[in-house]
Amino acid sequence: MAAARCWRLVLRGSGLSLHTAAEAAVKAPEVTGPDVAAAPVARYPPVVASLTADSKAARQRRVERWQATVHAAKSVDEKLRILTKMQFMKYVVYPQTFALNADRWYQSFTKTVFLSGLPPPPPARPDTEPAPALDVVALRDAACDCLLQEHFFLRRKKRVPLYLEHEAITSPFLDQLVASLTGLLSARNPALANAALDCKRPVHFYWLRGEEIISHGHRKGRVDALRYQINDKPHNQIRISKQLPEFVPLDYSVPVEIPVMNCKPDKLPLFKRQYENTIFIGTKTADPHCYGHTQFHLLPDKLKRERLLKQNCADQIEVVFRANAIASLFAWTGAQAMYQGFWSEADVTRPFVSQGVITDGKYFSFFCYQLNTLALTAQADQNNPRKNICWGTQSPSCGM
Amino acid sequence: MALASRSARLALARLGRLGLGSCGAPRRGAYEWGVRSTRKPEPPPPDRVYEIPGLEPITYAGKMHFMPGLARPVFPPWDPDWTPPKFRRLPPLHEHPLYKDQACYVFHQRCRLLEGVKQALWLTKTKLIEGLPEKVLSLADDPRNHIENQDECVLNVIFHARLWHSTEDIPKRETYCPVIVDSLIQLCKSQILKHPSLARRICAQNNMLSTTWNRGFREGYPYPYPHTLYLLESANLRPHRFQPDQLRAKMILFAFGNALAQARLLYGNDTKVLEQPVVVQSVGTDGRVFQFLVLQLNTTDLASDEGVKNLVWIDSDQLLYEHFWCLPVVRRKAVVEPVGPTGFQPETFRKFLALYLHGAV
Repeated sequence: MAAARCWRLVLRGSGLSLHTAAEAAVKAPEVTGPDVAAAPVARYPPVVASLTADSKAARQRRVERWQATVHAAKSVDEKLRILTKMQFMKYVVYPQTFALNADRWYQSFTKTVFLSGLPPPPPARPDTEPAPALDVVALRDAACDCLLQEHFFLRRKKRVPLYLEHEAITSPFLDQLVASLTGLLSARNPALANAALDCKRPVHFYWLRGEEIISHGHRKGRVDALRYQINDKPHNQIRISKQLPEFVPLDYSVPVEIPVMNCKPDKLPLFKRQYENTIFIGTKTADPHCYGHTQFHLLPDKLKRERLLKQNCADQIEVVFRANAIASLFAWTGAQAMYQGFWSEADVTRPFVSQGVITDGKYFSFFCYQLNTLALTAQADQNNPRKNICWGTQSPSCGM
Repeated sequence: MALASRSARLALARLGRLGLGSCGAPRRGAYEWGVRSTRKPEPPPPDRVYEIPGLEPITYAGKMHFMPGLARPVFPPWDPDWTPPKFRRLPPLHEHPLYKDQACYVFHQRCRLLEGVKQALWLTKTKLIEGLPEKVLSLADDPRNHIENQDECVLNVIFHARLWHSTEDIPKRETYCPVIVDSLIQLCKSQILKHPSLARRICAQNNMLSTTWNRGFREGYPYPYPHTLYLLESANLRPHRFQPDQLRAKMILFAFGNALAQARLLYGNDTKVLEQPVVVQSVGTDGRVFQFLVLQLNTTDLASDEGVKNLVWIDSDQLLYEHFWCLPVVRRKAVVEPVGPTGFQPETFRKFLALYLHGAV
């Protein structure tokens, strides 16, 4: 009796070890031979978790199988299709928003560090000759010409009322400014001469960051990833065929901390919707001009300075500029990185750099963004020390 | 009888039966008894105003209310000094302050000339020459003016405009037409490195021009000379777009308008033969077919039929590409037509570039 009990206990206690012992017994005679080839031939298929069971191991295996299909996709279009074809409820992030302290929220969504001022200039290489002096007078004349043309010289069919002034005057002025400055500066920068200029082309990006417990529904109590989508429409953007050089190395560690928000993004306010997940930089993947240079954004009338001052939100003026820059430039650089085949499990091997200019027609702010990591999902972010960096200037310093 | 009308009788009957409801009206949905007939009630008797010569009528005008027994007053007709805009009637045309005896015909962007180019030539006293002038053609053929990989760049521009620039599978003409013209101008601008005088140009979009009374821009404008007009036909439906002949006529008239405004600016309002002719170019397109035009204004004396005529060189119906397949054509699992343009003609872009560089080279 006691022997039978012990035998049953032994069997139950070491259920797995019998299997492994058997495998080891099978493999052992082949491994010990000195003239055997490196990989032993397994007689039995590998023991893995089930695919269809209702268990965490099974779910992990299904996730890994899906990730393997993404890794094995032959073209970038196919990869993007597999990553974006399943639609679930996601937060829609608007770069131009009236929400208070939106820049801190957006920094936490995109794992971005904000540094004020512009990035450090690249070290001057001794072999190249110094660049010719910048003809500031000609540039200033061109800018004044654009301003005067739209505001004064151009005769329009009807006198433009104040509430339409923004779209009827400031918008064409920004178009003209970008076109003329690009033309004038292409002598110093040959990449600008061959650049592609887009007017009001959409930019989309879809990413996952963080996790939550589902509060109600048939999946209540389970852990679900938080999904975000940005659908942006920059006023102008310049795209080039060669990538801009990096500002700082890929693994540069910034001492500044990323703000951590302790409540759900719904408090921002941010709302969930389910629709098509798109990733788009302004053109499709086949275009040779697939790297970004600069984006130009025009803030709408709703977020103008006088209105914010009337609402007693004078400190939110800078927040509006910063939030717009962080969200738009993250979406653009992230989409550029995904066009090159990187995604959250295949993190970027080189930093993606873009610049942005945000204006409301009178005040300009300049931003630079460096994307160092796309691994923002909970699984990929566990041991990821890299952070994305955004440099930016204050707006009142450059009033027109 | 005052209560001879049927409705008044019914009202009394109602009031009598229900007692006085709220303000004497029957309740909602109440049935109205009575014989239904379509006979209209007889009109009220007119109040007669008697004019007896020699007698002054005594009226109730001073009492400010009706008084039976007194005559009805006749008031002078009231002339309101202000009417709301909704009810205002326009005076007849010949009483309008700006009326002139001679009719003036206005030409605007949506005018389609029925006779096309022939009518436009007659209106502007212009002679037509087929093909572009030799100076422009020599610019087109000069290999020094070519951009490197010109064909490849133009093909990329066509792909971008027709396929790549939007997330939808087949972009519509309203989006791809301005994109292709903007991209071609941007490509031409890349020549700034070779010809720095190209930087002294500016682009004005959607501006108003009226040449018989005003000039195009205000005085002191640093870029007063019109160089090239780009007219886009970007409506999605074919009936909304102009026919090529009508587009050419519109191009002639707008180029002529710009040139005339420029001539008035330089030489004043009197009609004469110009010593220095004014040249304006124009490019019209619907995204695929291009029309090129160069107009030289020699005279502003348009009243007489003889004398010096203006000249216009037209190069019409230049295809940039025959057709663009946005999705590959697959027959029996084999790709018959790949994605891309068919029938690409690089010559059209060379003429476009020549028109752009004309004057700066």
